[in-house]
Parts: sequence; C-alpha cells; structure tokens
Amino acid sequence: MQLSPGLISAAVSFIFTILILSYLIGDNPLFRAAIYVFVGAAAGYVAAVAWNEVIYPALVGPILSGSAFEGPVQGIAVGVPLLGSLLLLFKVSPRLSSIGQLPMAYLVGVGAAVAIGGAVLGTLLPQISATFNSFDLVSAGVSGADTAFMFFNGVVVLLGVIGTLAYFHFGATQSDDGSVHRNPIVNILAWIGRVYIAITFGVLFAGVYMAALTALIERMDSIRNFFIQLIS
Amino acid sequence: MRIVAAFVAIVTGLIVLLGYFVPAGSLLELRLQLVQWAAILAATAVLVGVVSLLGVHWQKISTRQKNSAYSILLIISLVTTFLLGLLGTNNPLISLVLDGIIVPAEATLMALLAVTLIYASVRLLRRRADSMSILFLGIAVVILLMSAPLPIGMFPGADVVKWFINEFFAVAGARGILIGVALGALTTGLRVLFGVDRPYGGK
Repeated sequence: MQLSPGLISAAVSFIFTILILSYLIGDNPLFRAAIYVFVGAAAGYVAAVAWNEVIYPALVGPILSGSAFEGPVQGIAVGVPLLGSLLLLFKVSPRLSSIGQLPMAYLVGVGAAVAIGGAVLGTLLPQISATFNSFDLVSAGVSGADTAFMFFNGVVVLLGVIGTLAYFHFGATQSDDGSVHRNPIVNILAWIGRVYIAITFGVLFAGVYMAALTALIERMDSIRNFFIQLIS
Repeated sequence: MRIVAAFVAIVTGLIVLLGYFVPAGSLLELRLQLVQWAAILAATAVLVGVVSLLGVHWQKISTRQKNSAYSILLIISLVTTFLLGLLGTNNPLISLVLDGIIVPAEATLMALLAVTLIYASVRLLRRRADSMSILFLGIAVVILLMSAPLPIGMFPGADVVKWFINEFFAVAGARGILIGVALGALTTGLRVLFGVDRPYGGK
C-alpha cells in the first residue's frame, strides 16, 4: 500500500473525527487532546494567514524591497502602521501593556465608526425600509399583486417588529407606593413580541439543527470513504 | 497617555464616520487609508493574541499545573502550524493540517451539535415547560418535518406552512432582533466616540 498525501490526510481526519465524536460518551482525555491540538492548529493557521496575507505584504515587504523609502507618502503609509504594530506588541507584557494603549484606541475608534456605519447603512435603514415597503400598495397594485393580502402581511410584520423591540425595552416607572411598573401598552406589545421571538428562534433552531445533521452525515460519509480508500 | 488615547479614538472614529456619510473625495480616501491601517493593526493584534495564548499555556507547563500535558499538545500544534504556514498558505503540508485537522475538527464539532441540541431541547422541556418553550420547540419540529424528505414524501402543503411561518412571523421577529442589535451597536459605538466608554484602557 502506497502512502499518498490524500490517504495521510484522510487518516488524520478519521482519527480526529473519532476522537471528537468520543465526546458523545462524555468528556474524556481523548476528546480534550483533540480539541487542544485543534485550537493550537487553528491559532497557528490564523497567525500564519495574518503574517502572510497582511503583515508581510503591508509592512515587512515594502521595507525589505525599499519601496517604503521612495517618498514621504509611501513612508507614512508604512511608518504609521509599523509604529502602531510595534507599540501593540507591548500588549504581550502585562507590565508594559499601557504603551499599547494608543494603537488599541485607534483600533477601537475605527471599529466603533465602522460599527456605526454598518449598523445604520447596513441594517437599520434597509430593515426599516423593508418593513414599510409592505405598505407601498401603489407599487403593489401596478405590479398586479393582491394589495389586501400585502397590506395584511405588512400589518402582521409591523406588529411583530414593534412587539420584538418592545420586548427588549426595559423602561419602567415607579409609582407612589414604590412599586415599579411597566407601561401596560408596552407590556401587551412585549407579550406579542415574545410570541414572535419564540417562533423566530424556533425557525433558526430548525435551521441550525439541519446544518448540524448535514455535518454529521458528511462526517459519517468521510469515515466510510476512509475505509473504502484503505481497502482499495 | 489616557487623554491622548481617548483623543486618538475619538478623532479617528469621527473621520471614519464622516467618510461614511459625506463621501467627498479626499475624506473618502482618508477613511480608506485609516481603515487599511486598522486592518494591519488588527492583524498584529491577532499575532499578539496568539503569543498571549502561547504565554498562558507555557506558564501552565512551567508551573506544572493540572492538565498541562494538553498545553504541550497545543503549543506543539500551534508552533508547527505557524512555521508550516510561513512557507505559504498554499503549500501541501499546511493543506494537510487544514484537511486533516482543522476542517474535520470543525465539521465534527458541528456534527456534535445534532446530538447536544436534542439533549438541550429535552432539558428545556423538563426544566421549563411553559407556553413559549413549547411554541419554540413546536415550531422547530414543524419546520424540520416540513423541510425533511420523509419516506412518505413531503407533507401536503409543507411549502405553504413554511412560507406562512417564515414570511409572517420569522421575518418580523428576525427584523426586530436585527434592528435591536443595530441600535445596540449604534449606542455602543457612539459611547466610544463620545469618550464615555474607553475599552482601550483609559478609565
């Protein structure tokens, strides 16, 4: 039998599949060993990708090739992230980690701005406009859709969206006797929201379960294929 | 240092945010440059995180803590994979690590969910069998039955039931949750930009 790279890969894959599936009989040393190796390999791979795809071409490569010294623009383009990266390395040491505050602050500032931009332009505006598009009965009438049904769908969806948001609203007022009460209207909307959330999570649960089942079938198939490969 | 850090976070954040909503030529270029630098710093932060992970496990080994044998495995696999990765992410050895360890381990962990989710569902019904739990699991079972190709074939009207649940209820709930999450992200981001929250270390 010849040891091809495909067979070695299949053998390692088979061993890891069996070791991790052993968790089904309970937490055990074999499962733990496989998970530690997996975490190490994944972390090492991520670090290698970060080095090969970002750090080397953006920082190390331009310095080694000399292109970073061709002009002030190129110098700044490489120098600023290089300085930030060097300062960030101090985060490794607990005593010197405060030196790494500046690049961290930069990362957090840019991250916050990107999060705000993404939240407003990528989620809030599209989702709100999609909710109200259901009530665009003029366009629906032109395209020949059943406007009454579309309106009913729009009302049910709007009620669900408001109810779901009301469920996550925890504002309350304090009455004279000191007891805390939620607004009764918000309370009713929150109850409706709970129903919608339960249904939504039920649908999501079914989706995740189907994905997990697909992965299980794929793993069983890979075990069967390994034995077929071994025999042939 | 704290004030300088807060100043850096606020100024860079505001420039990037302005670049989103006022897409003028030079502002847009500045935003792209700032985001590009942030990507490089994020990659360095990944390396710092990996070194920190190595440090934690090295300490576990050097102080001979319980289960430090697993830490040896972690360090060996981490260093080996990183060194192989330095040869290029397309070399056959790193492909062996990917196809032999990383991808199968991820897929098997996903496969374990098929069992643990059933276990969790049973526990939910045992511990808190209220109307919402029953509705949640009932909808999950209905969607699964309506989606799976059963030996008797698909249930009659399965597509209509699935469409009704998805288009009327699941879309509304998901939209509400997404809007809530976006509002949360917006609030958290604004708190950082106003200097109220300083997760980078300046209290």
